[in-house]
Amino acid sequence: MLKEKYKAEIEHILSRYPVRRSAVLPLLYLAQKEEGYVSETAMKEIAGILRLTPPQVYEVVTFYTMFQLKPVGTFHIQVCKSLMCALVGSDTLLRWLKTRLGIGPGETTIDKLFTISTVECLASCGTGPMMQINDDYYEGVTESKVDRILADLKRDGTSSLKSGPFMLPEPMKS
Amino acid sequence: MPPFEKILLKNMETPGYTGSLADYEHAGGYQAWRKVLGKVSPAEITETVKKSGLRGRGGAGFPTGVKWGFLPKDYQGSKYLCCNADESEPGTFKDRQLIERDPHQMIEGILIACYAIGVETAYIYIRGEFVLGAQILERALAEARTAGYVGQNILGAGTSINIWVHRGAGAYICGEETALLESLEGKRGLPRVKPPFPATHGLYNKPTVVNNVETLANLPHIMNRGAEWFAAIGSPPKSSGTRIFCVSGHVKRPGNFEVPMGTTLRELIFEHAGGMRSDKPLKAIIPGGASAPFFTPEHLDVKLDFESVAQAGSMLGSGGVTVMEEGTSMVWAALRLMEFFYHESCGKCTPCREGSSWLVQTMRRIVDGRGRKSDLETLVELCQNIAGRTVCAFGDAEVAPIMSTLKYWRHEYEELIQQAAATAPVELMMPAMGKH
Amino acid sequence: MSVETVEVTIDGQKLMVPKGTLVIEAARQAGVMIPHFCYHPKLKPDANCRMCLVEIEKVPKLQTSCSTPVSNGMVVRTATTVVNDAHKSVLEFILANHPLDCPVCDQGGRCDLQDFSHQYTPTTSRFIEIKRIFQKEYFSPLIEKEMNRCVQCLRCVRYCDEVMDVKALAPVGRGTMTEIKHFGTHELDCEFCGGCVQICPVGAITSRLSMYEFRPWMLKRADTICTYCGDGCRITVQAKNNQLIEVNSAHGVGRNNGDLCPRGFFGYHVSTHPDRITQPMIRRNGQLMTATWEEALEYVAETCIALKLKHGPQAFAGLITSRCTNEDLYVFQKFMRLVIGTNNIDSSARYGQITGVRALRRVQGTPRWTVTFEDLVAANALLLVGTNVTETNPITGLKIKEAVKKHGASLVTIEPLVPAVGKISNIANLSTHDFPGRPDRFGAMVLALIKAVMDERLVDAELAQRAPAYVKAIGDALHAISWEVLEAETDRASAAWRDAARVFAAAKRAVIVVGQGVLRHPGGLDITTNLLDLLLLTGHHGRPGCGLATLAEENNDQGAVEMGAVAEFLPGPSDVTDRHARERLAGLWKEELPQGTGRTLTGILEEAKKGAVKAVYIVGENPVGSLPPSSGAKEALQQCEFVICQELFMTETAALAHVVFPASSYAEKEGTFTNTEGLVQPVRQAIDTVGESRPDWEILSALSVLMGYPIEYGDAKEIFKEIRSVIPGYALLGPVPTPPRPDVAVITQYVQSGYAEDVTNRYRLPGEGRGAKGERNEQSFTLVLSQSLFHSGKFSTRAKGLLDVEADGRLALNGTDASKLNITEGDRVRLFNDRGEMTTTVTLRDRLPDGLVTFPEHFDEQALALMPLTVDDRTGVPYYRAARVRIEKARGNGQKVTTYSAASSPSPLASGLESPEETR
Repeated sequence: MLKEKYKAEIEHILSRYPVRRSAVLPLLYLAQKEEGYVSETAMKEIAGILRLTPPQVYEVVTFYTMFQLKPVGTFHIQVCKSLMCALVGSDTLLRWLKTRLGIGPGETTIDKLFTISTVECLASCGTGPMMQINDDYYEGVTESKVDRILADLKRDGTSSLKSGPFMLPEPMKS
Repeated sequence: MPPFEKILLKNMETPGYTGSLADYEHAGGYQAWRKVLGKVSPAEITETVKKSGLRGRGGAGFPTGVKWGFLPKDYQGSKYLCCNADESEPGTFKDRQLIERDPHQMIEGILIACYAIGVETAYIYIRGEFVLGAQILERALAEARTAGYVGQNILGAGTSINIWVHRGAGAYICGEETALLESLEGKRGLPRVKPPFPATHGLYNKPTVVNNVETLANLPHIMNRGAEWFAAIGSPPKSSGTRIFCVSGHVKRPGNFEVPMGTTLRELIFEHAGGMRSDKPLKAIIPGGASAPFFTPEHLDVKLDFESVAQAGSMLGSGGVTVMEEGTSMVWAALRLMEFFYHESCGKCTPCREGSSWLVQTMRRIVDGRGRKSDLETLVELCQNIAGRTVCAFGDAEVAPIMSTLKYWRHEYEELIQQAAATAPVELMMPAMGKH
Repeated sequence: MSVETVEVTIDGQKLMVPKGTLVIEAARQAGVMIPHFCYHPKLKPDANCRMCLVEIEKVPKLQTSCSTPVSNGMVVRTATTVVNDAHKSVLEFILANHPLDCPVCDQGGRCDLQDFSHQYTPTTSRFIEIKRIFQKEYFSPLIEKEMNRCVQCLRCVRYCDEVMDVKALAPVGRGTMTEIKHFGTHELDCEFCGGCVQICPVGAITSRLSMYEFRPWMLKRADTICTYCGDGCRITVQAKNNQLIEVNSAHGVGRNNGDLCPRGFFGYHVSTHPDRITQPMIRRNGQLMTATWEEALEYVAETCIALKLKHGPQAFAGLITSRCTNEDLYVFQKFMRLVIGTNNIDSSARYGQITGVRALRRVQGTPRWTVTFEDLVAANALLLVGTNVTETNPITGLKIKEAVKKHGASLVTIEPLVPAVGKISNIANLSTHDFPGRPDRFGAMVLALIKAVMDERLVDAELAQRAPAYVKAIGDALHAISWEVLEAETDRASAAWRDAARVFAAAKRAVIVVGQGVLRHPGGLDITTNLLDLLLLTGHHGRPGCGLATLAEENNDQGAVEMGAVAEFLPGPSDVTDRHARERLAGLWKEELPQGTGRTLTGILEEAKKGAVKAVYIVGENPVGSLPPSSGAKEALQQCEFVICQELFMTETAALAHVVFPASSYAEKEGTFTNTEGLVQPVRQAIDTVGESRPDWEILSALSVLMGYPIEYGDAKEIFKEIRSVIPGYALLGPVPTPPRPDVAVITQYVQSGYAEDVTNRYRLPGEGRGAKGERNEQSFTLVLSQSLFHSGKFSTRAKGLLDVEADGRLALNGTDASKLNITEGDRVRLFNDRGEMTTTVTLRDRLPDGLVTFPEHFDEQALALMPLTVDDRTGVPYYRAARVRIEKARGNGQKVTTYSAASSPSPLASGLESPEETR
């Protein structure tokens, strides 16, 4: 139950809004963080906290693409396929990922480590092709970068190749 | 004329600048806030913003001061400011940089705006994917609260302003201001029927202003240096100030370039962005994000200001400039954008909902080499039946790629349809990674 | 208050409409139908379908007429080429993905999409792509969903939220793949009001009860009135070959304005249930055997004459259900009074309606509401006391929801409900001042509210001047009760009561709604009278739009009283002892009336037990099944020499009768019902009479002839004519009731001296009975027999649609109490007290206050055994709906299922041999 585990956090979230319902997205994020996806139980609990009916939570969950209704792999690779990334090779990126992981968009590796999705524009158009893995952006990726990222993730659960605070053109070194 | 000086990117382009509160203050940050808080009347600030000629940087370009002026006067209840940080227009990535590299600049802008319109609660609606951006903002807000710039009784002046970060969760439409409000209220992000406008019936049905990140980031500078200073930059009187243009696509040096409005596309692409990435000549330009109709090389001398771009048949929009080189299939490009719009159509209005699905299927068929002669006429008519028939501007936006590519590159459609058995162009078109 | 009007021109036609009218409505007034899907007058404009685009002069783009209010001088064109093309294009978009499965669609023939397509579209489509297909999903046993037909107008979702406040439907997904769904892996779980079925403009949501059974043009329709509660909803009953196919209600007509509840929409299969009694029956050698009408009528007539000669008319008594028409009720009381010669008459109005009538008559003269549903909607403040309105009077509930949700009325609730979101709507969720409590606390809560009015000096100045003694008497009595005590009794701080009092007193239009939780419980008469005091004290009483409304549980409770089908009233209602009224009636009837006040329901049973009443004539009433065993109803009737029943089904009571006449249901007869507001509405025959059944009045009329006192009528209309001569001005049949004004003389008498007789008694905290006090401890709960949204009395427990939703009774309690008892959903529990015990299944309902558990009265055969019976000595109302009980988890498995489920087994009563207790 979220209520027990995140009591203070939930209270803090609720305190930001004059109307409880506004807290639905933040609470769904909490639920997804907890279980990796948004379960039926979580939707019911959130509905209870916000004094909504479960369908009111459910309809919100399905409107926003970042919520998963089913479990996904430990690393959710989301490849931008919009035009700006496509112009600089996002289809090749997808193909390379398939070569490396053996899966295409919408699929999860057997070891449940990786799931690939295609997504629309992530506001990283100058640094395409790019992908978001869980919370992190990986930009200007190449075949070799992909290989390093996948290896890092498998080994460390994270990769130093993820983007930091964004700036393009790159700032001059001080 | 003095040499052009960047306004919004100046701090972050200073070597060593981290965007911390100390750095920001060192660079003169929060001086404007200290200057106006409790000393300049809200009405004067609004007047200054009006005089500066500042227009919204989110896409529609509505004069900011005028927008503020629509709030009911002497309203006693709660009012809200929402900072639109749902940057989702394909081709646009400037707000991300403003947020992640200089968060205090926009926070100061939010404070000034709140003070000017009498708001005590502001929400920064940031797109859900910007996890890092949200963290940076939270951190910056914590610093600003500790420093007493945000919170109760700010700097002892009796004014209280709370700012909260609210993350979206993956929906382009939430960049539309009424959809943003719906989303912030915890609902599906469907645009509202206007009128009533947010100025009178906004968040929680209360008077609300929604301003874009870049718009708000300009405010401290306008307060520091005056309306006249700002109004003189760019192409006055209608396009004052600078714009951050996000150049992407087949250029050598993609990125965010802050230039005075009125700079030509040619200068932006060939000087700032380093020109074409290869020897292939320029073929097409999207001047203002995915919703803006395509330009051809003939438009290179169009000045990047609101009026000139509109006059040339497109729009300045969000400042996302995408450059495509010769060899790029325009039908494929239009399909890629159509797929985006199909994916992002909220589904509220029949023409957009059904039209986007119809258009995307027809476009796919044409690109896959299964086009029919009658398709082009159908495409045009469908586009005409969508544009102007929907609650929000999404309907107009989604037909722009098809309509404009059909206008300038109709032959590419016709060729595809004629060579019905040709190799699937998607294969042909697959560009390699890592060429920049 | 005058409404500003503006001039608008629609297709060249100038007209004046109220400012703010939507263009689409203005056009309708001008006779121009603008096509639309998503617009519905009940719902907030959403402008999503884009079908209703019109040209407005000086506006560059086409505008949706459903969301654009007219402005003065506006010029609208709906029939230009541009507009026509826009309409065509929207239709083309909608049809692109529509399956065109009209031949197998139950909406075919009454489908907006069909009609508009017929009007606009060419016969071929340009759409050559692949049609969108949604995976077929089982939705519910009652509602069928075919999403491929959906036009995504969201009318269903919006209705479920805006009107019903249920929010059971969700638009799931985005864009063209948006699909209407419910939540969870189980089937749809909601109020089943049928609103989504009714409001769907296409065949996306239809009723499963009649799926594939008809084409609309095959149906024979009758506009009539629903019998499942006192709201008096207009329903259209549709039949094919004398089988009931569906019930719906057209928008804009009836008191319900087209809205229905599950009982009304899905509960129609009772009339044609195979268990209907179709032939007269006579008890021969201890068994009921079929007989001919002649035999049965002659037998009854002869026996009655003989018994009357032997024992006199006072050995007779009559009971009638208020489900009957006014005509039945009127003829029944006339039959009892003239043909038999006794005032020993009672009806089901005795169970509670009489409480309200008595209080209203005492304080304001008229026994009716002085407000209408429209006043509920327009109220600025509403006070609900013990209504459980969603379950008991769902459409009254909708009016209250509308007042709060659409017009921002303040809502004060003194209800057995705490705010909690659940499967069905909860009026306490809309409450601005909610005071949850058990029925035995309502009296104290009303006192707290009135005390707050006094403390806050909210008493109407004019009243204080006119009747200072009245105000002082109440003030003094309340002064003697400390806030400390009241706060403990009501479990709420005085500040909360003061807030509520201020809001109520300040409202320009204030209405009090009183329900079964008051009217059917001890103290009901006093509480209702005190609430009338509250109206008087705050100066609301008599003001337009203000009043006290008592909710009728049965469809014709009010009619039963007004027809004189109760012991103390003659038609009118006039007091049975009122000399003037008696003389007038005797003149009209040309016959002397029996002397003295008659016996009420429990009095009749007592007399029968004593042997003083020897014959009971029962029309549709079922005292054996309704009253607790301790009432001795069964023994009383068993002791009678002669019991006659007119019934639809073999009830516990009918099973004891000597003669049973098959009666016709509401669907098979004509007449009128008087609803809770006092509006008299026509009941129309929808199907031919089932079997040999006959309308109740006809049976009585036939008997009267055989007994030598003919009261004969050609048809129901003729009876109605006579009713109007007896009660002048009765039944101004019209769409809206004209509420009576309070009788100023009566009010004056009341505030000058009438109040004094019992004011100190009424303004005293109701003490707890000694027995009850002894039972109060940690483990004991208050068990209340409650009304379910899905049933009405025991009548509806034969409706297959409703049984699909609720097939048996379950003990409801909140989660806190459940965890205290270490039980959860679906567990078996044993309830017991010193009167008896029962075993049942548990269901959790967070809307119930702590310590309150409920069990639906519709399945209360077992629960009744736990109930103490007390009779109000002033009103004769039998109270038996609340008891203190202890609850424990039932031990072991294989517990015999003791709850009688009407769904799972054929009625054990059908044989007519045994009463239910004996079968177990």
